[in-house]
Amino acid sequence: MNSAHILTAFDRDLEAAQALVVRMGGLVEAALLDAAEALDTRDADLAAKVRVGDKAIDALEDEINTRCALLLALRGPTAGDLRTVLTVMKIAAALERAGDYAKNLAKRTAALATMPQVPGASGSIRRLAKAVVQMLTDALDAYIRRDLKLAEDVRRRDRDIDQMYNSIFREFLTHMMEDPRTIGPCMHLHFIAKNIERVGDHATAVAEQVIYLVTGSLPEDERPKVDSTGAGA
Amino acid sequence: MDDMRGTLGIDATTTKISASAVQVHYGQNHALKDVSVEILDRAVTAFIGPSGCGKSTFLRCLNRMNDTVATARVTGKILLDGEDIYDPRVDPVQLRAKVGMVFQKPNPFPKSIYDNVAYGPKIHGLSRNKSELDQIVESSLRKAALWNEVKDRLDAPGTGLSGGQQQRLCIARAIATGPEVLLMDEPCSALDPIATAQVEELIDDLRNQFSVVIVTHSMQQAARVSQKTAFFHLGNLVEYADTPQIFTNPKDPRTEAYITGRIG
Repeated sequence: MNSAHILTAFDRDLEAAQALVVRMGGLVEAALLDAAEALDTRDADLAAKVRVGDKAIDALEDEINTRCALLLALRGPTAGDLRTVLTVMKIAAALERAGDYAKNLAKRTAALATMPQVPGASGSIRRLAKAVVQMLTDALDAYIRRDLKLAEDVRRRDRDIDQMYNSIFREFLTHMMEDPRTIGPCMHLHFIAKNIERVGDHATAVAEQVIYLVTGSLPEDERPKVDSTGAGA
Repeated sequence: MDDMRGTLGIDATTTKISASAVQVHYGQNHALKDVSVEILDRAVTAFIGPSGCGKSTFLRCLNRMNDTVATARVTGKILLDGEDIYDPRVDPVQLRAKVGMVFQKPNPFPKSIYDNVAYGPKIHGLSRNKSELDQIVESSLRKAALWNEVKDRLDAPGTGLSGGQQQRLCIARAIATGPEVLLMDEPCSALDPIATAQVEELIDDLRNQFSVVIVTHSMQQAARVSQKTAFFHLGNLVEYADTPQIFTNPKDPRTEAYITGRIG
């Protein structure tokens, strides 16, 4: 739908809600990049900034929900308009969770600062974070451009993320078995890796909302999943 | 998306009215172009579309109301329970007893409440005596959810009722001849929201016994009361589908543009 409503205020309301979710996406991307950078460089100030910044992300989600409630109550959106409102709310919820994970990364960075370094860990986590942030960026681009192909590509890439996480899991397991002094930092690093992997799931959720928005139905096939940590799905 | 209402107690398999290749001309004006549609029994079908799209014209074909318009020419086939309603042997008056109609503005006869309802059964000879007629009047008023409000003043003039009550009286009058199909041409457009809700509740109830076809300008009303929705535009039937489908994921861009408020 690209033609305008007869009632222009309807367009303004819909555009405002979508602009907010795009802004929220920008903040979450930046928070994740900053959190990964802070972890990599053991930068306490940057980590603190990420933790404080999460409040702005949460506030945006609240504002988006309020606006969407008004849109539903006052405008009675249908068809593509309805799907727009529903996807805005779901994407905002996914972004809010992703923002929480960025905050958690920043918190663990502070704890890790006092612990011994784990060889090779920062490289693997940096690569994982980079791939996940790229997924989120692409999912949001797919949303802005209503790009079905890109959304499906993001969804497929979640598989790679799962594989990267699984190999990090095994890497940390090896370290901990070889040297029990690394158990403390490895546990933190494992949670960090797990949280980044979860952000990948939220990026996938955003991509799936794009598919719903464009086609009117969610993808029916089972989402590609890889789990060789022995923990089950 | 599952529709709770769409699957509740609906015989979605029986066709009541089957129209094929229906065309209507008013003089030079080609008002309805090649409309084919199957209208289900025991379900509410909503016709939506902008003014002049042909939805009322098509509704009026279903009980041959267009016969009364001198310039109107109807072609194509309309079958009611498999029988051609435009067959020369069909008596339009008998047809209209089977296919009742309720209009936009409540139009009770300037008679008592009782006589408004009793009129149809009387002229069609549906009762043998006064007590049978009383029964028809009572059951029709009950089906129209009006009985409790008027049972103590059946002799009062129908025109003295409120707008919503008058409309329900007209529905009782339409029901009294024992129809199988009820056609409603914007039955709530002259009513306040409370009376509208009461008539909508009544429509939802009526579909247990009748096939109901409603023309409405209120998209929300179509969404609230119907199981099937047909969208007309410029004399064409653009899209006909389950109501939840039309309002969440219509297939035709013209339908989407109309229901989301982009074309008038």
